[in-house]
Amino acid sequence: MPVWHEATRDFVKQGRLVVLGVTQEQHADRCRLFAQWKRFDWPILHDPINVFQSRAVPIVVAIDEHGIVRSVRPRPDSFERDFLKRTFKDDSPGGVKLIVDKKDLRLLADTARSTDAARPWRDYADALVLWGGHSRVDDAIAAYTQAVKKNVKDSDSLFRLGVVFRMRYESTSRRAGDFQRAVNLWGQALARDPNQYIWRRRIQQYGPRLDKPYPFYDWVKRAVAEINSRGDTPVALAVQPGGAEIARPARQFIVERPKQTSPDPRGRINRDKVRLIETEVAVVPATGSAGRDFRIHVTFIPSRKLKAHWNNESQPLRLWVNAPKGWRVSRRLLVARQGPAAQSKETRRLDFEVKAPSTATGITKLKAYALYYVCEEADGTCLFLRQDITLEIRAAEVATVKHPSRKG
Amino acid sequence: MRTVVLVLALCLAGIVSPPEVSAGRYNPRVGQRHADFTLPTISDGKPVSLSQFRGKKVLLIQFASW
Repeated sequence: MPVWHEATRDFVKQGRLVVLGVTQEQHADRCRLFAQWKRFDWPILHDPINVFQSRAVPIVVAIDEHGIVRSVRPRPDSFERDFLKRTFKDDSPGGVKLIVDKKDLRLLADTARSTDAARPWRDYADALVLWGGHSRVDDAIAAYTQAVKKNVKDSDSLFRLGVVFRMRYESTSRRAGDFQRAVNLWGQALARDPNQYIWRRRIQQYGPRLDKPYPFYDWVKRAVAEINSRGDTPVALAVQPGGAEIARPARQFIVERPKQTSPDPRGRINRDKVRLIETEVAVVPATGSAGRDFRIHVTFIPSRKLKAHWNNESQPLRLWVNAPKGWRVSRRLLVARQGPAAQSKETRRLDFEVKAPSTATGITKLKAYALYYVCEEADGTCLFLRQDITLEIRAAEVATVKHPSRKG
Repeated sequence: MRTVVLVLALCLAGIVSPPEVSAGRYNPRVGQRHADFTLPTISDGKPVSLSQFRGKKVLLIQFASW
């Protein structure tokens, strides 16, 4: 889009054109950072659930002063001549159809409850996501769940329900399994419509390198550095992209540092029996055929109930992964970044890839363990503990899907 | 066959709603009025509609940062 920004900047300044952006990304703040970096000064709208039902981006559409489409995918070099300089007549019949509107949440809720149809529940859920704020995430999940129950073929609701589960996973109201539920739902939606590239990209964002068309957020570090060098304050991101979200595509499975050794081979370190650190595993994709790659995400959260926090004055959190015979692991020992202060309570995320053998079927359990320094309460006892983690990967024969292009 | 064509034509004209089965598709066509929409901005979440720019030429860009 920088090309269009450059091509239209003077027209916008002259008041001859309005540039209006729409992004379907999960995270609005990342697009804000991108816009700040590229100095986009036009409004950008957030459509994380893809109410537009666009199949792939970018899409550029020139709309005249009457709201009529005059060009789809116009060319920057002829844009002024073919569109801006022309005067158009209001020659399109018919009224204005709505894609989505800002509606009264209570009215939408009443409408949904008074019918047995799926669509009113989806409309209500859409409005909750777009206009309800973080406090209505649970309500949005409930409404999309109703929509899916009433129409199991509604793949839009499946995808959107996944988006909201991912939103909740990143919020303080997170519930165990939210991320995996999101991945499962995105996979179900895509299985129904394999040509939906907005949905496909959401899985690829968190998926293995072999499936990636490009690194998704590797630009963030460069953007922050450049914005800082300009003397500006970069947009702060709620969730820093890392691991899968910045990994480069690969054409084959890569094992990094193959000669690492287990930090606790005999299992002598005491176990975290009370779960001072809560862990959660998500596998992307949720199911795959034998021989394919999976990205495994492990999330570590200090227990709020037990008032636990990381002790950053010693070794950082480590994760060791054992692989059953025939399975390959991209990196067996992973190390998390320490918190900024002596103690901290942030969520930590580690991810890596595994390659299933061509003979894999059903559920395979991979054993892993984490080692960490954790304190029980503020100024309480600090301990060095181990937590054993089981990673369950479902390998199954699935229908091969052709990917005609890698656009979007 | 004629029935299918008629239903499709009515759907495209916005006279009847498309069946709520699989995913729909954003498909702007030259010469047709663009559907209106209202979405929150990424900067402050305030609603912005396409229709509020009526009377001005608009370049609508759907994109991602990657």
